[in-house]
Amino acid sequence: MKKITRYWRIKTNELSYLIGFMMVMAVIPIFLPETLLYILGLTFIFIVFSVSWDFMTGLVGEVNLGHTIFIGVGGYVTALLNVPQRFEKTFLSPLATLPQLPIPLTILVGGIIAAIVGILIGLITLRLKGWYFALVTAILPLLFIKATYVFKELFGGEEGFSVGLGRAVAQDTLGKYIVTLVFMAICILVMYGIKNSKLGLTLIAIREDNTLAESLGINIYLYKVFAMAVSSFFAGLSGALLVHYRVTVSPDLFDVPLMLLIILAVVIGGLGSIIGPIIGGFLIYLLKYWVLKVYLVPFIPPTIPINDDIVLYLLLIVIAITMPHGIYERLRKLYLTI
Amino acid sequence: MGDINTLMTIFLYGATFGGILALISSGFTLIFGVSRILNFSHGAFFMMGAYIGIYLIQQLNLDPLIASLISILLVGIFAVATYITIIHPVIKNEVMTIIVTLALALLVEQVILLTFGEFGFSYPELITGTISVGGVAISLLRILILAISLATILALWLFIDKTRMGKEINAASQDPEGAILIGLDVNKIFAVTIFISAILAALSGILYSQMYTANPFQILNSLILAFSIVILGGLGSVKGSIISSFIIGFIYIATTTLLGARWSEFIALAIIIVILIIRPTGLFGVEE
Repeated sequence: MKKITRYWRIKTNELSYLIGFMMVMAVIPIFLPETLLYILGLTFIFIVFSVSWDFMTGLVGEVNLGHTIFIGVGGYVTALLNVPQRFEKTFLSPLATLPQLPIPLTILVGGIIAAIVGILIGLITLRLKGWYFALVTAILPLLFIKATYVFKELFGGEEGFSVGLGRAVAQDTLGKYIVTLVFMAICILVMYGIKNSKLGLTLIAIREDNTLAESLGINIYLYKVFAMAVSSFFAGLSGALLVHYRVTVSPDLFDVPLMLLIILAVVIGGLGSIIGPIIGGFLIYLLKYWVLKVYLVPFIPPTIPINDDIVLYLLLIVIAITMPHGIYERLRKLYLTI
Repeated sequence: MGDINTLMTIFLYGATFGGILALISSGFTLIFGVSRILNFSHGAFFMMGAYIGIYLIQQLNLDPLIASLISILLVGIFAVATYITIIHPVIKNEVMTIIVTLALALLVEQVILLTFGEFGFSYPELITGTISVGGVAISLLRILILAISLATILALWLFIDKTRMGKEINAASQDPEGAILIGLDVNKIFAVTIFISAILAALSGILYSQMYTANPFQILNSLILAFSIVILGGLGSVKGSIISSFIIGFIYIATTTLLGARWSEFIALAIIIVILIIRPTGLFGVEE
């Protein structure tokens, strides 16, 4: 009984942890140099990638290996809407005369289009149980990358294109930092709200036992497509925001290393827990783009074939084997057993 | 008649490419069928076969044939070691199996990038010279590659159908729990299967890099091609994988010849997606 009350106390505490985390993040810019602030802004966007991926994979239990599709679609949609001249001389030439739309609107359109793509993929692949969803989502990002090469005039090929400095989400680093922080806070609170509603419980029921959920009269297909829509919408939004943060769009948004970094973050944090992916996303992004880049890479002798990626991948394998439920779950278990 | 020449080229090149794809995808589908492991390191085995061979030939001056055999064997051993150390501990957890094998694939990619660089390496050809078939000059290498692929596929079929170990593998793929109940050592079966699957991938990699070039990005490219083929053929069906390998091979070479190389993967993937929309179980798959 004591354990159960403790468990619920953790549940109610989760929200206060979340708010506490945001508060700390809102205050620290005073103490940090600008370069670190810039990385932290990217980290917040990355956290939304992780939490939205976890919404499908951790909560519903369908392994989505193509989350970068939605990040990329969101990014390219907003980028093209901000540089409509690129539509000229392509099959979409009527769009070239689009007026200059406000950035928040184009980001929202990016999220909506990503969600539509997500719903379509879900409708097709989630009909079958088993591995089709994972395999099809694994091959789709390559289709999108190849599309950016094939339709080079539109998407800018391997280099991508710039949306112009004037279309950045804010003009200085502190402004960008605040926008991403607010954005992350809203996205996380919405997904947290859905997860803890009756809808979220239904999704977890589906994850725990497909057959049982089905026999209780839950239309698991529709619920899975719904989860896919939520997950891809937030991925699209954050991908679009990323484009206005770094003012360029390129096929690396679709690519596998980003996908694996997201998986790494969520696995280390703990699948299906919202808090876990936040911890994981925070640690992993800073580890890769700050700690390893600054404190490890310069000290590796060039003769040894090791770089920061190899260290991360080794870490991922070790963590997956030793604590498959992630750091957050480990800490929680520890707390429950004390 | 240039058109007939083009058709002949597409047919012959498509057949060799299809043979190579059949080797890599039948290995992938075999290990999936037997153990339900989606082995994302399969593409790494494919490229390791080529790179180890190239290393042995260039650095140790070994004969290409001997180097190839050693390379294939080493990759097989590496695969079994991978199974024991990182796949076996998480085999019950399907998500983790995908994650550790994908991480291993990217790790191998980075190691190859750092040691060999990002530029392509050609594998020294096992045979040179050309013959003329119907007015089209074909290198003997292509014929050899096609012959090796077909012979290997035949050998694989004979092994699974005729030997005791093959029958055990087949039994385990049909019903893993039943196999345990009748006293089969499933762990041993999985290890043997991943060994076979890896040597098929390594052989495929060696053949591939004689026709094209070995480069670290092929690890993910080949993996995605193998996925596409396996989905098209129907998950777990070796026969389906082999047939769809040739279908994809022809589509690939036809688009490369007629539209240009940058279209080939795009068209091949788009066709697969369309087929999946119409027939989600693939050509030979059964619904689980």
